[in-house]
Amino acid sequence: MAPDYDVEFIDRGDRDREARFLVRDVSPAFANGIRRAMIADVPTLSIDEVRVIENSSVMFDEQIALRLGLVPLTTPDDYEIGETVTLALDVEGPGTAYSGDLVSTDDRVEPADKNVPIIDLKDPEGSETPQRLEVEADAVYDVGREHAKHQGGVAVGYRHLQTVEIVGDADEYGDDDPHILRGVIEEDGELIPTEEFDHDLTQRYPGKEVEVHDVPNAFVFHVETDGSMSVDELVTQAVDTIHGRASELKDAVQL
Amino acid sequence: MELRVIEKTDTELSIEIAGEDHTFMNVLKGALLESEGVEAATYDVNPEQSGGQTEPILTVKTQEDVDALDALEAGADRVMEKADDFRSAYEAA
Amino acid sequence: MSYKCSRCKRDVELDEYGGVRCPYCGHRVLLKERSRDVKEVDVN
Repeated sequence: MAPDYDVEFIDRGDRDREARFLVRDVSPAFANGIRRAMIADVPTLSIDEVRVIENSSVMFDEQIALRLGLVPLTTPDDYEIGETVTLALDVEGPGTAYSGDLVSTDDRVEPADKNVPIIDLKDPEGSETPQRLEVEADAVYDVGREHAKHQGGVAVGYRHLQTVEIVGDADEYGDDDPHILRGVIEEDGELIPTEEFDHDLTQRYPGKEVEVHDVPNAFVFHVETDGSMSVDELVTQAVDTIHGRASELKDAVQL
Repeated sequence: MELRVIEKTDTELSIEIAGEDHTFMNVLKGALLESEGVEAATYDVNPEQSGGQTEPILTVKTQEDVDALDALEAGADRVMEKADDFRSAYEAA
Repeated sequence: MSYKCSRCKRDVELDEYGGVRCPYCGHRVLLKERSRDVKEVDVN
């Protein structure tokens, strides 16, 4: 009765941030559990408290703080929930303060993207000093359930793997409307992403009438992270959170 | 995770599992339904629309020769097994 | 309380009796400067 999963990669995007993979023989409940765990239960570091030393920019401290909170930070996996790292930012105008200007006390923690604009700082005419932003910020390690800024997975979902059955010839004088299908189809054991035929089944099976069926218990996951960790880390950590809760339940039941 | 037994007979168990949501409850319910000796398993996160109570309550009914609490433990084992298998299948790919 | 005169740009200390007026140029529009304290902001 042991589950017997089979995972196969369909494509891996560059920089480890995006991947599409097929899992076979997985129950819908478990597939959804993993999807939800990837979104809400895998913790990441995110700025949560900001100490504003100087802010002569045109935006309020709170607005700047919100923007800093939304910057994805690379997250090592040896942090504990609630643990913090301190970062600093000091930029003077004229010019733009970017996420890449953040300096961290832990060199494994840095902005996942260096080119996220925080705010444009001016050197206004007639002013003695240019606008300046100097802050110190604490990033905290927490889960997406607490705040969306902690979500590691930003575009996580799955579709059924599908098969296409040819049921006959298309009506000769019928409309030649496209038959759009998005996802991955299986054809004689071969996996074909629908991009290959422009998501249009009439291109792949011209003149045929087709029926599309879901392959039971086979799901094509699409996972994209915000850069705080790789897809592999996100998936394995999500599975581990489910495992962790099951073992916690077992321990609690035994008492 | 805090457990609170609400009702318990040999073959029936209602238990509150505080701090969990659909992510884990549905996986657990799914695993229980696949288990030998389990006749019914369900959970409710907002039982009876009872003012403010939103902790999930799991209900398990088992066949006569199976204790419901043992079935729950076996269900937890099964989830762990699934998680281990998924992880190793993913790492092998 | 520290202010800055909007005309002569000099720092102005206001006391209880002087009224709102720059002691250097007599201008009556004063700007309040941002406090030099470090401000803590929670992100939410």
